[in-house]
Amino acid sequence: MPGYKRTERSVAELYRDDPERADALVWGRRDTLKGAGLAAMGVALGSAIPFARHLPSGMLPAALAQGTAPQFLQMEGKARLILQGERPLNAETPEALLDDDVTPADKFFIRNNGSVPEPAGDPRAWKITVDGEVNTPLELTLGDLEARFPLVTARLQMECGGNGRAGFSPQAAGNQWGNGAISNAEWTGVRLRDVLRAAGLKEGAKFTGHHGADTHLSAQGPAISRGMRIDKAMEEDTLIAIRMNGQPIPQMHGAPARLLVPGWPGSLSQKWFTRIELKATPHTGRGMGGTSYRMPVRPIVPGSRNNGADFADMESMPVRSVLTSHAHGARLPAGTRALDIRGQAWAGDLSVRAVDVSVDFGQSWQAMAVAAPPNRHAWQRWSGRVAFPSDGYFEIWYRATDSNGRMQPHAAANWNPQGYGANPISRAAVLVG
Amino acid sequence: MLAVGALLTATVALAQDPDLARRQAEAAAEIAARAEEETVLAEGEGRSETFAYCTACHNTALIRRSAFTRDRWDDLMDWMVEKHGMNPIDGEFRTTIVDYLAQHYGPRARGPRGGNPFLD
Ligand code: HEC
Repeated sequence: MPGYKRTERSVAELYRDDPERADALVWGRRDTLKGAGLAAMGVALGSAIPFARHLPSGMLPAALAQGTAPQFLQMEGKARLILQGERPLNAETPEALLDDDVTPADKFFIRNNGSVPEPAGDPRAWKITVDGEVNTPLELTLGDLEARFPLVTARLQMECGGNGRAGFSPQAAGNQWGNGAISNAEWTGVRLRDVLRAAGLKEGAKFTGHHGADTHLSAQGPAISRGMRIDKAMEEDTLIAIRMNGQPIPQMHGAPARLLVPGWPGSLSQKWFTRIELKATPHTGRGMGGTSYRMPVRPIVPGSRNNGADFADMESMPVRSVLTSHAHGARLPAGTRALDIRGQAWAGDLSVRAVDVSVDFGQSWQAMAVAAPPNRHAWQRWSGRVAFPSDGYFEIWYRATDSNGRMQPHAAANWNPQGYGANPISRAAVLVG
Repeated sequence: MLAVGALLTATVALAQDPDLARRQAEAAAEIAARAEEETVLAEGEGRSETFAYCTACHNTALIRRSAFTRDRWDDLMDWMVEKHGMNPIDGEFRTTIVDYLAQHYGPRARGPRGGNPFLD
């Protein structure tokens, strides 16, 4: 069957490059998919497409929409994550590995901006500095932190600012994450606001600047140094974390201490955390300004050039959902007519009000049950049952709605050069029979 | 049940292994240091220059996954200088590299109607 395989791959490539031309060339049609063309597509996929008449022109079935085969991370203590790059080392958690309510260390995605530092010899002697617009600059060891401030524990979602980037067309710069640069571990630490109050905030303390021990890829200076408005620093859930899931924080994830700024771009949750500055004006470290972690206020033409000067910093992350019970590409036994499915959903600083699912390309939607979060900033479990009218090729489309009523859109909105904020409805292909 | 128990024990044992941090850091360094051959990049004029100049900080995965227009590749040269301390490249050398990138790592996906009417 080598001929058959070759055809399938070239169809996928054609669709990736130019969907409309592919429709015309491959299926011999210029308008909507129908008749013989569809039958041919069904053959390429190895099944019938029951809801074919609702498949919009130029829309490739999710099963064909994959790019080149992904590579996987192999590292002791880490699951089979999708390798996004070796230097810097970045790896994404496949959605089906995000089924745990509390993300275990091995399934935690990896985002590095620079080089992973050497582990600290004596974690308890690790020092954190608080300076800038404060009355009393502090230098605290982790031992001091634990002795002086109350420890709190919470499940907190932490997500890369670029999560979902692969949804943008044309392609945006950066790791081509699907939805898997998300985590919801149980973090233990001290509240950042308790530490800042101990230092005494001056009137001028309006912004923060964060520093860590990782070095830039060029070996010159810090890997990344971002900052935020003081309001977020003073929030109850913003922590200096020292334990993850009751254990010392793994080296990959910022040992022995990191910031945890839930619901905002993960780059604020400084790994290998060493210092926080309080500032009267926005921080200007690496990763601030321009198009970095910033999005257009007035939408720009997708693919156009822009220096980001009038963009705004990305703050609360947009609503998003993952399907964790069934992997994209799952095969189900012939005759399967009902399927119990589940996943997780979250919405930055907000919560998730609803998750809806469609198995007919968005023609009809069905509400899923959504559990309340165990604490603020934790993701929420959704679950429900869908029905298939026949055997064949189906796509499960899943869409979350946040507590303000905003839904995941049909296509990634507000294109920007570095690709932040893409949260389109996700599609997982399944084959019944 | 037994399998679940064994799995749990294994996870806890891993997390408590005091040496795991060091081994993970070493593994990360090893992955980052993996040598690449120039031939991982598409063949064409300018490949050697691009490979030599562009793998000082990161590997070619960042290039190979990209699909940008010439303008955006050109912008990226400035971004790498401004944000990441790359030595500026100008003149013929810049043209060689940007032409190479645009030709071999150009846009793949087109808009829903075969292109954006505001760009062409
Ligand atoms: C001085 C170091 C340095 C050099 C030299 C360098 N880069 Fe980069 N480049 C970086 C860093 C740092 C990043 C960001 C990596 C990250 O955050 O994951 C980056 C990111 C990228 C990206 C991804 C864009 C993004 O937003 O993540 C591409 C593509 C890229 N570089 C291409 C090139 C090309 C082509 C060259 C050669 C002309 C080059 N780089 C040379 C440091 C460098």
